[in-house]
Amino acid sequence: MTALLATEGLTMRFGGVVAVDDVSLAVAERELRCLIGPNGAGKSTFFRCLTGQYRPSAGRILWRGRDITGLEPHAIARLGIGIKTQVPSLFDGLTALEGVTLALRRRHGEREARRRARAALERLGIGELAGAQVGLLAHGQRQLVELATVVAPEPDLIILDEPTAGMSAEETAGTAALIREMSRDHAVIVVEHDMQFIRAIASRITVFHQGRVLVEDCAERVLADPRVHDVYLGRPPEARMAVPA
Amino acid sequence: MTEGRRALLHSALALAAAGLAAWWLPQVMELFAIINATVYIAMALLALSLALVWGFGGILCFGQAAFFGLGGYAYAVAALNLPDTTYAIPIALGVPMLAAAALGYVMFYGKVSDVYMGVITLTVTLILFNFINSTAGEEWRIGAAPLGGFNGIPTTPPLNIPGDPGTPLTPEQIFAVAIGCLAGCYVACKLILRSHFGRVVVAIRENELRAALLGYDVRLHKLAIFAIGGLMAGLAGLLFANSVFVSPTMFSLAYSGQVIIWVMVGGVGTLLGPIIGAMLLQALTSWAGTLPEINPNLILGTVLVVAVLAIPRGLQPTLAGLLRRRER
Repeated sequence: MTALLATEGLTMRFGGVVAVDDVSLAVAERELRCLIGPNGAGKSTFFRCLTGQYRPSAGRILWRGRDITGLEPHAIARLGIGIKTQVPSLFDGLTALEGVTLALRRRHGEREARRRARAALERLGIGELAGAQVGLLAHGQRQLVELATVVAPEPDLIILDEPTAGMSAEETAGTAALIREMSRDHAVIVVEHDMQFIRAIASRITVFHQGRVLVEDCAERVLADPRVHDVYLGRPPEARMAVPA
Repeated sequence: MTEGRRALLHSALALAAAGLAAWWLPQVMELFAIINATVYIAMALLALSLALVWGFGGILCFGQAAFFGLGGYAYAVAALNLPDTTYAIPIALGVPMLAAAALGYVMFYGKVSDVYMGVITLTVTLILFNFINSTAGEEWRIGAAPLGGFNGIPTTPPLNIPGDPGTPLTPEQIFAVAIGCLAGCYVACKLILRSHFGRVVVAIRENELRAALLGYDVRLHKLAIFAIGGLMAGLAGLLFANSVFVSPTMFSLAYSGQVIIWVMVGGVGTLLGPIIGAMLLQALTSWAGTLPEINPNLILGTVLVVAVLAIPRGLQPTLAGLLRRRER
């Protein structure tokens, strides 16, 4: 079966630095996939290649088998891909409702877009923020408004870059539940490094290290993999103790 | 009052005020004052064009005067070559709009950053200024229209009654046309900003990346609003050509700089503010020009510094804020 989104040998170089090195992965319809890795592993660069913000140096990106490498971000979004950036990317001068409505206006009339936008805000538990100016909201609330903006148009694939950054524990737990719920109807790719959150959503995980895919497996096996501990979580205590002083 | 009703009320008030001014002012003003007022209105329209492009499109164009000058020259050249000057109107609007679209294509599709956009727009207007300045020779003519170099085209014919080339409009009629154009463009700007297209343009000003990630073509929207701004600046140039005559100073750094000051003083992100700012500051500059002992630019510069310090958001937002506070 053709994957919903796949990369083939995706490579991104910045001068002599290879940030993403020959990465091939495939995400199926309604799959929930986590991309994890330590800082500098190439996750965010990979994310930017997928979302059209960077044009890859080599390799291909395929959407339902069609080559979409090098498309502009708006063209990628139009395929039915909802994208949430690491730092909330919002219309600060508009209200939450106006921003989410804009996300829906390409497909719906004004009235229907507003109705759906309100529903999306309610779904994320921030219905009371509909009339609030986005630029004045707290960081965690901004994350939720951006999630509402991304989810509202019901995209086929949702790509989330560190969706819980700056959120409280309660908001993080709520977001994990929401992502699990979203993955029933949509494919979701989550770029994260909060391990509590990764455990909570318990999906298939791809581990990045030095721009390459180190491991790809189910959460349980990945989290128990000693290589992952080495590069990402730090060595387990017994291994550390074995290291001569 | 809802946003939609407020926009409707503002538009109705603008049209009513324009109608009243067009009917009443020519009865009480002398010819010189009427011509002067027409120039003020042309400049206010130029300010409105930048208010739309900069204040709502987020594109700081240092060369809005380029489209103003192109509109004026396109009108003058077309009017001198065509039997009926009415036919010169679409040319005067089309040339600057296409020029803005071509320049916008290079800038937006070339992903030029904001700083370089300022440099490019400024450079374009200066190139045009120098080019037009050096067209004094007899060989520089387009059909029956000599470009005239530094002297411009003093023989620019005024608009005539449509379909009646033998009856040119009087200065009073041109004044009424100018007021109508200004009010019409103000209402058009309101309508554009109320439309889905206008909202996307404002959203792009707020956050280009987010707009793109929602599937909106940022480059195309910027190109469109820039071209509309070019068309409006061209209309301002046409009105200017009808009240005075076209000359290379239309492309000058002075105009490009002043229009930015008018918009800043009036309030970036507003429509009425820049119109008022343009009128007030022109009146101030004219008055300062009559003082023998002081340079008017010095006064203009001082006003800008004081305005930036005292009313950083500009006239309209400050006055609106004061009114709201009194209402409470």
